[in-house]
Amino acid sequence: MNPRGSLARERRQAYLLVAPAVLVLGGVALYPILAAVWLSLHRFILVFGERRFTGLENYAYLLGDSRFWAALGNTAYFTAVAVTVELLLAVPLALLLQKAFPGRGLLRASVLVPWAIPTVVSARLWAWMFNPEYGVINRLLPGQDINWLGAPGYALHAAILVDVWKTTPFVALLVLAGLQGISEDLYKAARVDGASPWRTFVLITLPLLKPALLLALLFRSLDAFRVFDAIYVLTEGGPANTTETLSIYAYKTLMRSGDFGYGSTLSVATFLCVVLLAAVWLRLLGREEAAR
Amino acid sequence: MRRVSSIVLALGLVVGLGVWGCRRQDAAGEAGGRTRLVFKYQPLWGPPEPFRELLARFERENPGVELVTEALPNASDLAHQFFLTSLEGGARDFDVLVADVVWVPEFARAGWIADLSAEFPPERLREDFFPGPVEAVVVEGRTYAVPWYLDVGLLYYRTDLVPRAPRTYAELERFAREAMAKTPGLQGYVWQGRQYEGLSCNVYEALWGHGGRALSEDGRVLLDDVPAREALAYLRGLVERGVSPATVTGFSEEESRRVFQEGRAVFMRNWPYAWSEAQKPDSPIRGKVGIAPLPTVSGEPGSGALGGWQLAVNAHVSPERRKLAARLIAHLTSPEANRVLALNYARNPPRPAVYQDARLREEAPFIAGLLPMVERAKPRPVTPYYNLISDVLQSEFSAAVAGLRTPEAALKRAQRQVDHLTGEGP
Repeated sequence: MNPRGSLARERRQAYLLVAPAVLVLGGVALYPILAAVWLSLHRFILVFGERRFTGLENYAYLLGDSRFWAALGNTAYFTAVAVTVELLLAVPLALLLQKAFPGRGLLRASVLVPWAIPTVVSARLWAWMFNPEYGVINRLLPGQDINWLGAPGYALHAAILVDVWKTTPFVALLVLAGLQGISEDLYKAARVDGASPWRTFVLITLPLLKPALLLALLFRSLDAFRVFDAIYVLTEGGPANTTETLSIYAYKTLMRSGDFGYGSTLSVATFLCVVLLAAVWLRLLGREEAAR
Repeated sequence: MRRVSSIVLALGLVVGLGVWGCRRQDAAGEAGGRTRLVFKYQPLWGPPEPFRELLARFERENPGVELVTEALPNASDLAHQFFLTSLEGGARDFDVLVADVVWVPEFARAGWIADLSAEFPPERLREDFFPGPVEAVVVEGRTYAVPWYLDVGLLYYRTDLVPRAPRTYAELERFAREAMAKTPGLQGYVWQGRQYEGLSCNVYEALWGHGGRALSEDGRVLLDDVPAREALAYLRGLVERGVSPATVTGFSEEESRRVFQEGRAVFMRNWPYAWSEAQKPDSPIRGKVGIAPLPTVSGEPGSGALGGWQLAVNAHVSPERRKLAARLIAHLTSPEANRVLALNYARNPPRPAVYQDARLREEAPFIAGLLPMVERAKPRPVTPYYNLISDVLQSEFSAAVAGLRTPEAALKRAQRQVDHLTGEGP
């Protein structure tokens, strides 16, 4: 038996072994995406009982659809603000969790509680806390009662607050993992050189934390961009669509209106936005790796 | 080679399982000589026995039929989503289904529910049922569903704070102000202003109260007219003039009920369910609540939005099963079944005759007393495009009520989008 033949056989065998996984992935990931793209090229409204190929007509309508742009704006704003605040809170939280102190294990576990509660459940809880008449939030805040979920301007920020509350612990854990990867020797050397804690943080911790931060940004911004459940439970996109995100618009068009053609166009547009976002982050991450 | 064949075998198994899974669609049907009839409905809250007995009676009267019930999610939106995907996919695994009052024309137009005119001619429905629900189930002169139980928008008022139920909008506002002047912290009128289907109901009620129809003669949805503008201006005005709290723009049914039940509002618009809550032993307003038809501009009793559920037959099942399904519907919508649902589950009968029933008047006087409101209940615009356009309308109604756009601007935008979606208009 010559070695080359055995290598070829092994390769063939390898393909066969991964084939089921590839098939399953193709079936559950690739097929639905292609199906959505195909549907998005049709005028396909269930109640009309019609399905006809219209090429890029839906996409042309999308470009002029002010509701789409408003939803995109809401989604981008939600993502940018929520993820920024989460990172700003998560870094100090992670620094705190890294310090050795009695009860640290318990604290680390309890910080994760918001993350562990299903979003729909916590959004329901928050909806009652935001209730302008009974809600604990207006009770705690001084001054005039705020109409959290019923006033444009407030509602989206209420949703951001819920998202921050829920996912900051997750980001903190990612950052904590990054912190633990930084060698203790560097800090010792900094102490020997007489660096202040702030300088140590800015010159050692932050630069070395960059990959972990980028990873957290990648996870969180992709997740936040597809936000659906929290906002749907809180406001269903109201008042006057001021909290409508792309996912909610797509869901309503698909499932409430039964407009599968345009609904798929919206889904594809959301998908493309997420892909774009992911590409940017992955590029930045890749550059970071290369620099090392 | 053996490895290859085992992989092929595994793949074959996967495919086989998939095919078998798809075939299960036809599971409803003949099984061991008995015909399985599947009824898909939303849970009725209350003791299960009376309803089970009602179903068992059908099995006894139809030997050879095995009745299976399957529960739907309790949210109307989710149930709609379920039917949208399964009926479009040609599902045959259920025979009788419940349909919300606004779905029937849509499902009929899409060819998902069967024409029941032979078993339930429209003329007979008109004789036996209230006009509102019949309007909702008869599409272009053909019957597509039979009303099962209904719901209607009502005005709740505090008998200890106002002399009587207001008949006009002006009276409602005056009564509310007088009561608010006496009791600081009291709110005037709470309703549902959050962006969702409940807001649409509130808007249509105001629109009818201002003499509007929301539909043109030829069945087109027509919103950019004077009554619609007046209706939105009235609702927004309630907030601006302080009769309704600004927070009402975030209220659905439960938020308004809680305010009212704590004794902090004079008037409330809500569905009949709020009554039994208000009369609970620990309720602060127990015995101080009255109900009335909604007010109008003219002072004539107003129309509440019609809600509730209808029974329809899946159009994809075989003709024989359709016949059986129609028989089940006749059984479940009989006067006797109406009474069972009213007495045990507080569901309002769609037949006027049942309201005269002595037992109902004695055991459920509240339901019997709803007759004047139920008689006037109106369906939201009856059009196959209802779900298609209601999403657009909710957002424009919300914009007007929250003061983001003037009623004129909101309605213009709404009309333009409606015309675009339904392919009508210029």
